[in-house]
Amino acid sequence: MTRPPAPIALTCGEPAGIGPELAVATAQILAESPAPGAPAPAFFLIGDPRHLPDGAAWRAISTPNEVYALPKGVLAVLPHDFPAPNTPGQPNPANATGVIAVIERAVALVQAGAASALTTNPIHKKALIDGAGFGYPGHTEFLAALAGVPRVVMMLACAQLRVVPSTIHIALGSVSKALTSELLEETLRITHAGLQRDFAIAAPRLAVAGLNPHAGEGGAMGAEEITLITPLLNRLRAEGMDLSGPLSADTMFHPAARARYDAAVCMYHDQALIPIKTLDFSGGVNVTLGLPFIRTSPDHGTAFDIAGLGQADPSSLIAALYMAQDMAHKRHA
Amino acid sequence: MTMTREKPILALVPGDPTGIGPELTAKVLASGQLRDVADFLVVGDRHVMEMGASQAGVTLALHSIGAADQANFHQNATPIIDLANFAPGSFAIGAPDPSVGKRVGQTLSHAIDIARTGAVQGICFAPLHKKAMFDGGWQFPDEHQLFAHLLDHKGLFREMNVLGNQWMSRVTSHVSLRQALDLITEASICDALRLTDRVLRRAGIEAPRIAVAALNPHGGEGGLFGREEIDIIAPAVAKMAAEGINCTGPFPSDTVYIKAFAGAFDSVLAMYHDQGQIATKLRGFNKGVTITAGLSTIFTTPAHGTAYDIVGQGIADPGAFENAIQLAARLAKNGGTAAPASGDERP
Repeated sequence: MTRPPAPIALTCGEPAGIGPELAVATAQILAESPAPGAPAPAFFLIGDPRHLPDGAAWRAISTPNEVYALPKGVLAVLPHDFPAPNTPGQPNPANATGVIAVIERAVALVQAGAASALTTNPIHKKALIDGAGFGYPGHTEFLAALAGVPRVVMMLACAQLRVVPSTIHIALGSVSKALTSELLEETLRITHAGLQRDFAIAAPRLAVAGLNPHAGEGGAMGAEEITLITPLLNRLRAEGMDLSGPLSADTMFHPAARARYDAAVCMYHDQALIPIKTLDFSGGVNVTLGLPFIRTSPDHGTAFDIAGLGQADPSSLIAALYMAQDMAHKRHA
Repeated sequence: MTMTREKPILALVPGDPTGIGPELTAKVLASGQLRDVADFLVVGDRHVMEMGASQAGVTLALHSIGAADQANFHQNATPIIDLANFAPGSFAIGAPDPSVGKRVGQTLSHAIDIARTGAVQGICFAPLHKKAMFDGGWQFPDEHQLFAHLLDHKGLFREMNVLGNQWMSRVTSHVSLRQALDLITEASICDALRLTDRVLRRAGIEAPRIAVAALNPHGGEGGLFGREEIDIIAPAVAKMAAEGINCTGPFPSDTVYIKAFAGAFDSVLAMYHDQGQIATKLRGFNKGVTITAGLSTIFTTPAHGTAYDIVGQGIADPGAFENAIQLAARLAKNGGTAAPASGDERP
């Protein structure tokens, strides 16, 4: 028998959010009704067992591979002591150091090969700033810093579509200025390499959206397609990259168009987020490309308003674990 | 004149004859299903209509008249103002042609001249080929701006996209994203809300629920990624709500359309072209209807195009064109989509 792959490390994220309860629910759902066509992903939570909901089925492990010895449906927890207990819905700055340490520990495990991939629960930036002086713009940037890479790319993926926003959390009015040839080139190269390495697509086909309506319509409605996007695409095509575009963003997401590419590279946040959420509101998975390890996360936040009520929907976390498993399989195949 | 008639009179323009427009127009007329909805006056070329009937495999009774006031709607033949601008052999189906685009523009212009006399309340046109028209000399960013130009319209007008019970509109349209950002002001949002509210009321929807999309990602996240929501959009929504318009927002645009599609709103007001068009096209709005709202004449058209892949085969589906006609008739009953002459409008 071949040795099972290393399991996936799941961080607890902000414990006052829905992360802990989602982990418990996910372990149960994966045992009871795994998705057809793929084995249920093996994973373990890194967090403080005191933060789990009352009555949760969990068991402490001391090394990741102990996951495989646990009964099905029981959540494996690699315990990490937090400074304070937890109240769902009320982030406690006293626990900020714990949240950060769990992420660091998970990165160390995945970099050492003890975990095959990293899936992260959402954090709450303000609690980390207040409690630990967290100095990164976000979760992803922190992971990039831990991994020592200067730039990563965010990709959102569901069964029907993969999208990459070239600019993310900036005002729409700043997009045109932020979109440089260097930024777009990095985005395209990282996306291309990520699809090759973690999605086993030998020659990825990338569709690139225009910035303006109808992709500028030959310059009648904006010049960025002519001055910026087209010259870059031509240069990268000359290297052999399979690129289409700049395409009119409103006609590049219907099924026939989607069949012609492996990922759509968009110019701004909503250009990427509107189509994927319209296609798959809950199952979208956030994938970070460009890290030395595999990282996925559910496409939702801490949801303090429903934390602890048992109402949170684990489908995006489950999809994130399946995608991490699949990527790890493809990377190591 | 228009108020005493039970049914509105609508001009039917068969669109670009290289595409499926003539076939659709012939199918609509031959089926007679919309006879109770409106009286029809065809404005176009008689040969084109005969070609359409032949493509559709239907028999069409037309009678040519010299002027709109000679139209007799109490006989079986549909009146046509025959512009005789498409002689057989002067065009080929299946591909765009600027010389055709030029004549399609002339046909629309003629229909608009008729509408200006009050002889018809609306113009329902089959699909055009925008690039052929542009290359043929009608150099407007879209047909809506062409119509406004031909009507000497100075005030507000907007394209709206309708599918089922959902009426999508936007503050800015066919301009660069940079220019759109400049055009999004409290005043332009208020204008667009008033127009949207008016159009939906004229279509018979009481107190239409209008969701206003945010401009920035996550709705600006409290000012972190842009301040337009705080400085411009929220004040405009509050002002219009105070005037009695049932509008709410701003809502992050990556989820507002899903909520609308689920039935939470009758309309979403987008800030810019792609914000609205990405979601609506994914939702199948190409099966819907495009209207030009705010002009003295009602304009409606199917949202789909000339469908060159199926032209001449008799298999084109007239559903969207029929919906466009139904919608024009519905709006005509309540006086169209133009602003009241006083300019003093309260919902």
